[in-house]
Amino acid sequence: MLEIRNLHAQIAEGRKILKGIDLAVGAGEVHAIMGPNGSGKSTLAGVLAGRPGYVVSEGSILYEGRDLTPLTPDERARAGIFLAFQYPVEIPGVNNMYFLRAALNAVRRERGEAELDAGQFLKSVRAKLKLLEIEDDLLKRGVNVGFSGGEKKRNEIFQMAMLEPKLALLDETDSGLDIDALRLVAGGINKLRSPERAIVLITHYQRLLDYVEPDRIHVLSDGRFVMSGDKSLAAELEKHGYATFGTAA
Amino acid sequence: MTNLVKPGTAPYLAAFRARAVEAEPHWLSEQRDAALARFAALGFPTRREEAWRFTDLRPLESATFLPAEQGAALAPERLAPWRLDGPTHRLVLVAGRFAPELSEIGPLPEGAWLASTARTLAERPDLARHAFDETDTGGGQPFAALNAALFADGFVLALDEGVALDRPVEIIHYGQAAAPASLHTRSAVLLGARSRATLVESFAGEGAYWTNAVAVVRLGPQSELRHLRLQDEGAAAIHFAAIRATLGRAAQYRSFTLTVGARLSRSDAFVRLDGDTAQCSLDGAFLLRGDREATTATFVDHVAPGCVTRELFKGVVGDRAHGVFLGRIAVRPDAQKSDAHQLNRNLLLSPRAAVDTKPELEILADDVKCSHGATVGDLDEAALFYLRARGIPEEEARRMLIEGFVVDALERIEDRAMRDHFARHLGRWLAGEQR
Repeated sequence: MLEIRNLHAQIAEGRKILKGIDLAVGAGEVHAIMGPNGSGKSTLAGVLAGRPGYVVSEGSILYEGRDLTPLTPDERARAGIFLAFQYPVEIPGVNNMYFLRAALNAVRRERGEAELDAGQFLKSVRAKLKLLEIEDDLLKRGVNVGFSGGEKKRNEIFQMAMLEPKLALLDETDSGLDIDALRLVAGGINKLRSPERAIVLITHYQRLLDYVEPDRIHVLSDGRFVMSGDKSLAAELEKHGYATFGTAA
Repeated sequence: MTNLVKPGTAPYLAAFRARAVEAEPHWLSEQRDAALARFAALGFPTRREEAWRFTDLRPLESATFLPAEQGAALAPERLAPWRLDGPTHRLVLVAGRFAPELSEIGPLPEGAWLASTARTLAERPDLARHAFDETDTGGGQPFAALNAALFADGFVLALDEGVALDRPVEIIHYGQAAAPASLHTRSAVLLGARSRATLVESFAGEGAYWTNAVAVVRLGPQSELRHLRLQDEGAAAIHFAAIRATLGRAAQYRSFTLTVGARLSRSDAFVRLDGDTAQCSLDGAFLLRGDREATTATFVDHVAPGCVTRELFKGVVGDRAHGVFLGRIAVRPDAQKSDAHQLNRNLLLSPRAAVDTKPELEILADDVKCSHGATVGDLDEAALFYLRARGIPEEEARRMLIEGFVVDALERIEDRAMRDHFARHLGRWLAGEQR
């Protein structure tokens, strides 16, 4: 599904952040990318989602066999890539429901499916709200406006559940969550695991991986993967910290 | 006398002298003569004057806009985009003159008067004199003076004490001009004590015309006027509109103005809070693209104590367009317990777009609650990326953010159907439609 080869990327002003990433994620797999602050985790997520401000200077990113780099962020999203933001953006004046319906219909148009009318949309929303224990009235507000930190993260997973992406990139979705919210978010992620879908979890801590079991774990340090392994690697990291891999924790 | 005539005014003076003089009351003829002399002495404003510092009047000065003749016949369908749904009292002015074949004034309750200014002058001289006999026809405002000299028609709405209109009054001003021409309408809204009305004015049209509209609003004690205005003039038009409102005790004036049309426009509102605990809200939005220029100028004068002013204007300016907001609130020494809040927020959509915003408070009383603010910013790139990262195409995402920026001003319109009407016109602008 996703194949990254020798990826080098820098921010527009010139500082190199990713220095040769290789990663292959197949359909049905869950990969975790771990690493200390500043190692390039969020940059990798941003580069994959097409966030402005990054330049790919070397290497390639193939998604379903096609080159991802020329695609705009919205083309990527409509092709099935979803980024759960580390810091979801507050957008006053843009109603949450209106936003989500616009997004869902953009994705459905791309897939050649009929757009949902307000009634059909609402039905679909209700079912998924329950799953993440999100109050109805949050949806009547502006996008993420007045949401607590935990509500924002749950809203990201809720959007993911609505949009049903093929490749989900979750950028520190676990950060700032208390244990109950973490369980809810993890439950939402697990519900979305499927043989057709790939999930990449980007996290600083191992605790999310207690709830969402990854197939592979990769350790990122200074823009490169320094180690990859199965889920046992997480326990190793928990015990010894990132220092084991030659980096400051 | 000749040295009192400012350059550029001569063709208008000649047109005034050459006009067919209709039989009209003596006081009105005198008033016209005096107003014309004032216009001749004032001339066109220049950028040296503070109130006109930001306005480029060249489109107005580059041609002579002589007063329009009777407009051409207009198919009713042409007015469809501006007509309100549901029953209204509709009065249409084409090229500044009452068009009876396009108007439809429903049955009015006793004590209500709604008619053209010309008819009011002929049939209700008492009302007309009350509405239009003024010692001050616009102070230092040359265009209001020109209007007082040249106006041919307009509308008059007058309600006796306690009369409430259940249908909205709908005025459509449709401009027309094959060659540059000016349309001077003078209108009045006179509400008796405890009376109530909703007035919706739409300005639209085609050709290179100059709308120069003046309306007088006088609200008696505890009366309420909701005044919604859509400035959707043709792309070659120039639009000046001035409202001079005076509020009696506990009267309420709620206005909303959406500006999306005309190449050059200016909307002036002068509101005098004359009776204690009167309330006024002046809200609106201006959306400009291309090389349009629009000025929103408001002046609220707190004369009596305990009055409330709420003001919110949102500006969206793209391409090489230029938006101006001049907001002045004065609190006189006797106007204790005044409560005034003014906010102007602007969104620039392109590096060459510009906004000048100038909020002013002059407070001469000591026990007041007043605040004001102004901001100018760009579209939030983080928000734009967030929407696009969910699959929403860039153009649609931009439209959503612009709409989201303007929506809280629109929400000041309390009536749902009216809000939807204005939202549709906002939507048309967002979709890039221009007339």
